[in-house]
Parts: sequence; structure tokens; C-alpha cells
Amino acid sequence: MSHMKYPISWRLLDALEAAAAVLWPARMRRLTAWALLAPALFLVGVLVIGLGYMVEYSLHELDLSTYRLKEAYSLTNYQTILDRPVYARVLGRTLLGAVLVTAISVALAFPYAYAIVRTPSAMVRKALLVALFLPFFIGQVVRAYGWLIVLGREGLVNSALAGMGLPTVDLLFTYPAVIFGLVQYMLPFAILLLVPALAAIPEDMELASESLGARWTSTFRHVVIPMAKPGLIGASVVVFTLTLTDFAMPEILGGGTSDFIASAIYDSFFQISNPGLGAALSMVLVTLGSLIVAGVFLVAGTGTLGVRGAK
Amino acid sequence: MRGSLSKRIAIWGLVWVSLITLSLPTLIVIGASFTAGEIIRFPPEGFSLRWYGELWQLDSFKAALARTFYVSAICTAVSLPVGTLAAIATVRYRIRFRNAVQVYLLLPFTIPLVVSGISMMIFFGEIRILGQLWPVGVALCIINLPFMIWSVSASVNAIDPEIENAAMNCGAPPLQTFLTVTLPAVMPGVITGGLLMFILAFNEFLVSLFLTDSRTVTLPVQIYNSIRSVITPDLAAVSVLYIAIALIAVFLLDRLVGLDIFLRSK
Repeated sequence: MSHMKYPISWRLLDALEAAAAVLWPARMRRLTAWALLAPALFLVGVLVIGLGYMVEYSLHELDLSTYRLKEAYSLTNYQTILDRPVYARVLGRTLLGAVLVTAISVALAFPYAYAIVRTPSAMVRKALLVALFLPFFIGQVVRAYGWLIVLGREGLVNSALAGMGLPTVDLLFTYPAVIFGLVQYMLPFAILLLVPALAAIPEDMELASESLGARWTSTFRHVVIPMAKPGLIGASVVVFTLTLTDFAMPEILGGGTSDFIASAIYDSFFQISNPGLGAALSMVLVTLGSLIVAGVFLVAGTGTLGVRGAK
Repeated sequence: MRGSLSKRIAIWGLVWVSLITLSLPTLIVIGASFTAGEIIRFPPEGFSLRWYGELWQLDSFKAALARTFYVSAICTAVSLPVGTLAAIATVRYRIRFRNAVQVYLLLPFTIPLVVSGISMMIFFGEIRILGQLWPVGVALCIINLPFMIWSVSASVNAIDPEIENAAMNCGAPPLQTFLTVTLPAVMPGVITGGLLMFILAFNEFLVSLFLTDSRTVTLPVQIYNSIRSVITPDLAAVSVLYIAIALIAVFLLDRLVGLDIFLRSK
């Protein structure tokens, strides 16, 4: 009974090891990676199957007599999207919104990320990080609710205006309110994607530029911004696609006046009960988003979003 | 920060704009939740805890809160092993079709949430699990899985492969190497990922909107539905709960792995 003197955890591990050797013999070693990946591949597969249903739905027209999708395949739903000007308007509004929100968010995120990276004070850095992470961990609905109180008829802004003897204004349920809410939602994403790119720039680079007589604006334009390009691309792509597909902010802060494509998809399914049309709109949104991202990657490279593998 | 006065004014000026934009709704909600009045207005009328009290009387709120915890727990429990193993596989092993696998695993990010939500609603309806609560947890795990894989990948990338080789050289069999060397080394990433998954699931609204009904409604969906009808101050009290949970998460993240983990350049 000499092996009894070994600790129990050793024997447990030996047993596990033996079991693993039986269940997964060495000749299966080549497949280990796929075994580790299998659960993730399966879970994402659920989404892919669901998407398959969407593609299928989009190819069937709604039969108005039975309110079911017709058996025959057709492209009628896609034709409907092209024919009705309302969808072009919604699409244009969404794209404009995505461009505006991306430009404003990245412009605000850049100095914030720069301050986090370059501040000499650990306290200030911690404060900036906490102010960044706190809203990041609070969902969109709660944050939209906060804006309702700020921008509402009896909200903070209007109370302040009234206090100064100025007339109150309707800020809520307008396009600018939606853009503003979206910028606030996207800012943490943009900052978090920019920070690693800026941290990669040695401060000596900036000092060298300045010691050669460049003003800080020139240093930014010719040194910092070009070197931060991967982060700028990553942040822009993420903010753009998240805005393009957003539902809650346009819905809550726009109040039906500034619907984005996601609202049009929702309405097709649940208001006018036409799943075929909703599915076709979904396909348009997926295709549009993918094409724009692919275009940016082709022109500017994948930035910080590129995936690295084993060497 | 070094540099001239004009640079400091420009940078810090914009930082303050961001700080106010980021923090204003949070501060306003906290202030509004302590109102004594019947409606939300600013500045609030008086100070009281009445809306917290009324909230606690509300059974529908407590039920929705319990469901939200349940769904988030499922999401976290599923994503921890699945995401960790997938991250180790994609970073550590040579696999064929690596790029295709990575694009596939990023699908939950590239597919818009509104489309993912309705797609899974249709599929869950077909296999007759729509209307139950556990599929919501699984769905939230699916749509956020890339976050889990990302945060673990960062840790896997940081391990020196020679450490694993050293363990094996000293006679450790593969499973022991994995359990005693690889897994502890990726723990910071696993903790960060797990925390993120829980918080994201706890706040998730859009996919849950499609997958829940009045019997299985979760808290974010309920808040959304209430916002669309009457805005009463009890919503502000619910929001403060969310703010408190976010604060706890930030504190835990800072304590367990440090917020600076996000500052490292790749």
C-alpha cells in the first residue's frame, strides 16, 4: 500500500488523467482543437439556423387573404422595399445618423483616451476609467430613461431655461435627441477601442516632434493621429455598425418620429404582421452593414479589430 | 500630460464635455429617484424614499428581478466553459480554416441584434421552447459570446508557451498541465469575461424583448414597456438599482483584475 502516502488530490488527478487517456487517446490529439471549439460552434449554430429561417421567410410574399406567407418563392418583398419611398427615407435617416454618431463619438473619444493614456496622475486615470466604465455597465434602456428626465418637458434643461426666464423647448422626440443619446451610448465603446492604440505610441515620439519645433496641433496631425489609425478604424467601425442597427435610442428618444431600420423591421413583424417583409428588411440591413464594414477594411485595413492567431 | 497651455485647455475641455455627457443621466436618475412628488420633474419635489418603498411592494418588479438574475446566471454559467475553451483553441492550436472559424465565431457581433433576436424567436418557436425562461439565458450567451472569447484570448496571448512546455518536460500529463498551468494563467481573462457576460445579460433588452412574454418578462424589458406608457418615479428607483449593480461590477473588476487591463496595447 505504498501509494497510500500520496495526497488524495494526486490520485484524483491520476484517475482523471487515465479517464482522459481512455476517452481521448493520443491519436485523437489532432482533433483536440475542434473538440474545444465544438460547444461554441454549436451555440453560434443556433443563431445561424435562425438566420436560415429569416432568409427563407424573406423569399415568401404575404397572402393577404389568410395572413400567412405564400408557398411560392418570390422576390416580391425586396421589390416592395425598393418601391416604397418610406424605406429609402428610413434607410437614409439611419445612415446619416450612423455617420454623425461615429464622427462625434470618435472626436470626443480621442481626447478622452489620450488623457487616460498620458495623464501623469494615477488618481485622475482611475477617475476617468470609473466614469467610463460606469455607464458602460448600465444598459441602454436605463440610460435612455436618464435622458428622458434631462430633456423632458419638465426636465433639467427646460427647468433651467424657465429659471432664466427663457421659453421652454421641445427637445424630446426629435432627431437631435436620438443622435445625442446614441453618442452617449457609443462613447465608452469608442474610448475603449482607442485607448490601446494610443497606449502603443511612445511619448518620446511626441517629444521628438515637439523638440523639432512642431506645435502640438501639428504633432497631433502628423504624428499622433496617423499612428493611432488602427484604433480610429476599429472604433469607427464598431460605433458605426452598432448605431446602424440600434433600436432602443431611436425608439425611446425619437418617440416614433425618427425610426431607424431596426424599428422598421420590428414594425413589419409585430405591427403590420408581415414577417416576409420584415425578414427582407433584415437581410437588407445585414448586407448593408457587411458591405460597408468590408469596404472600410479593404480601403483602410482591419485596424485593431484584426484577429491574431498562433504563430 | 506635457505640452502647452492651449493643448491642455483643448484636451481637458473636451474631456469635461465627455465626462458630463457620460455621467449626467446617471446623476439625474439618482436625484429623481428620491422625489416625494407624483411625477418625474427636475428639480425633484422634496426628499423621500417612498418610491423605493412602493417598488418593494410591487410583486411584478420582484418577479422580473428574480427572472433577470436567473437568465443572467444561465448566460454566465454557459459562457464560462464554452468561451474559455474556444479562446484557448483559437489562440493555442493550429487549426485548419482558422479565419473561417474566427469569422463564424464573430457572427453574433456582425449580425444586428434586432435580426438575431427575431431569428432566434422564430427558431425557438419552431422547436417549441419559446415562452420558457432558460432559452433566453442561452440566447443572451450566444449574442455576447465574442466578448467572452475576446477577454480570454487576451490572457491566452499573454502566456509564454514555454511555461506549458516546462510543465510537460517535468512530467506533467496533458490534463494536469491544462488544469494547473494553462487555466490559472488565463484566469484574469475568465473573470473579466464572466463579469462582462453577467452584466451584459442583466442589462440586455432587445433580444429579450423578442424572447419573453408577459409571464417571462425580464427587468430591462419591463422598464422599456413602462417608459412607453407612463413615466412614474418608481422607474428611477429601478434605474438606481442598475446603477448600484454597475458600481459593484466596476469595483469588482478593479479589485480582481484592475481597470488598467484595458489600457494595455496589444
